[in-house]
Amino acid sequence: MSARARTHLGLVVSQVATAAGLLLIWEWSAATGRLDPFFFSRPSHVLLRVWQWVATGSLWPHVSTTFTEALLSFAIGGFFGIVLGFSLASVPLLAALLEPYIRIANAVPRVVLAPLFLLWFGLGIWSKVALGVTVVFFIVFFNTYRAVREVDVIFIDNVRMLGASRAQVLRHVVVPSALTWIFSSLHISIGMAIIAVVVGEYLGASRGIGYLIAQAEGVFDTTGVFAGTAVLAAGVLIVGAAVSRLERRLLRWKPQNLEVRNDSEAGGPWK
Amino acid sequence: MSGTRTHPALALRDVGKRFEANTALEGVTFDVEAGTFVSIVGPSGCGKSTLLHIIAGLLPPSAGRVEVFGESLAGINRRASYMFQQDALLPWKTVLENIQLGLTLRRQERHVRRANAQRWLERVGLTGVGNEYPYQLSGGMRKRVALAQCWIVDPDLILMDEPFSALDVHTRLQVEAEILRLWAGSGKTVAFVTHDLEEAISLSDYVFLLSAGPGSRVVGRYAVDLPRPRTLMDIRAESRFHELYRDIWHDLRREVVRSNERSR
Repeated sequence: MSARARTHLGLVVSQVATAAGLLLIWEWSAATGRLDPFFFSRPSHVLLRVWQWVATGSLWPHVSTTFTEALLSFAIGGFFGIVLGFSLASVPLLAALLEPYIRIANAVPRVVLAPLFLLWFGLGIWSKVALGVTVVFFIVFFNTYRAVREVDVIFIDNVRMLGASRAQVLRHVVVPSALTWIFSSLHISIGMAIIAVVVGEYLGASRGIGYLIAQAEGVFDTTGVFAGTAVLAAGVLIVGAAVSRLERRLLRWKPQNLEVRNDSEAGGPWK
Repeated sequence: MSGTRTHPALALRDVGKRFEANTALEGVTFDVEAGTFVSIVGPSGCGKSTLLHIIAGLLPPSAGRVEVFGESLAGINRRASYMFQQDALLPWKTVLENIQLGLTLRRQERHVRRANAQRWLERVGLTGVGNEYPYQLSGGMRKRVALAQCWIVDPDLILMDEPFSALDVHTRLQVEAEILRLWAGSGKTVAFVTHDLEEAISLSDYVFLLSAGPGSRVVGRYAVDLPRPRTLMDIRAESRFHELYRDIWHDLRREVVRSNERSR
């Protein structure tokens, strides 16, 4: 084993030990009455609850609902973000016209839209998808817009000298160059999509992890709240790891991963 | 090509270029015979790169005209390849994909262009790195890939804009030798922009001197009568090289001084 791999292994072991230690302290405090289990539950109870959910099969419909919603909002928001990002970056006049509106739309806190979407799209998945779309769209849009605008002119000049038509410049330079930023924004946008749909479910739904947590809360079942939260966290981690793998594959031409620009948070390229 | 014989590869007539209030080039007139290797030298900021961009058709001139093998230039110069100062290889394509890019854009068949690119890879001494990405190569290797990318489309004219300014001296000599080897007997015309007079003399048949800006013009044309093939490692020690250097430097020095005075 190389020295580097050893250091890495050591780090992982320490990380696991830290988590185990904290959970043990929690368990011990709750077992000895130092923490009130009514408010704080116990890790062993939480684990048991998750296991019961899995064993009875009652968890699956909720998980699949939440991730279907997240995936749909990711796909729809991503599609429109990319299309509009490309369009506005290629037509500066359009960008100038729409600039204030996009700024205003992005300034609206998404949570206040949730009740509106519930009214418009009902209690089913589409009100959650709509909420997710409003989050994903802006992240992908800003990244695409800036990426297309900032394509290095030297690459464009080079392929033009080698005989590229306008369409070929787009295909061989602009799109791959912009994809870099779009892929980097996948991470943030898929995570944000999950958060958005869970918030939507929490506020009104008949299924999903957010619904599960809201139900447990309604009967002061803290164990259920923690169990739902744990399932959600695990799901986000798994999706994140999958996205990382995909990103490494698709961006294998890059020396290292880029830092992600979350422009929707920062106020966009016009700030 | 019959046109190639009767017309100069390049004929510039009163070419000027203004950027808003400032005049980069004014009344640039010169000819480049087909099959020759010419260098364009001048003080920094005199518009050498602008001139090359105009010849490439990447920038339209504000005045005058450019003729390429007797035909008036409009839009991109289809007879020319361009080697840029900065790294212009597409980072998301492998070395082989970069080399064959010009053929891909011309919609050549996949196996034909792959075989061709493989040949060029060997020709520039990079066998075995075809599937690597540009970031994995050294600066000198990236320049060799760029060289292959330019030459694979078999252009009549090759434009180079200080392509080696970022390389260390030894790597630079190697890649320069590579260029002379490729160029010898190819019949291609090379226009090479540099601020390094030694580089200009050791590679070229003719050296053109551009005056200090604003409004740079060609103020000198020097024939380099050193025999070919040249050994770049030794050529700088020859007495004729020193004479040429002294002559051209005498004029170049004047422009450099003037350029410094103006920028102060």
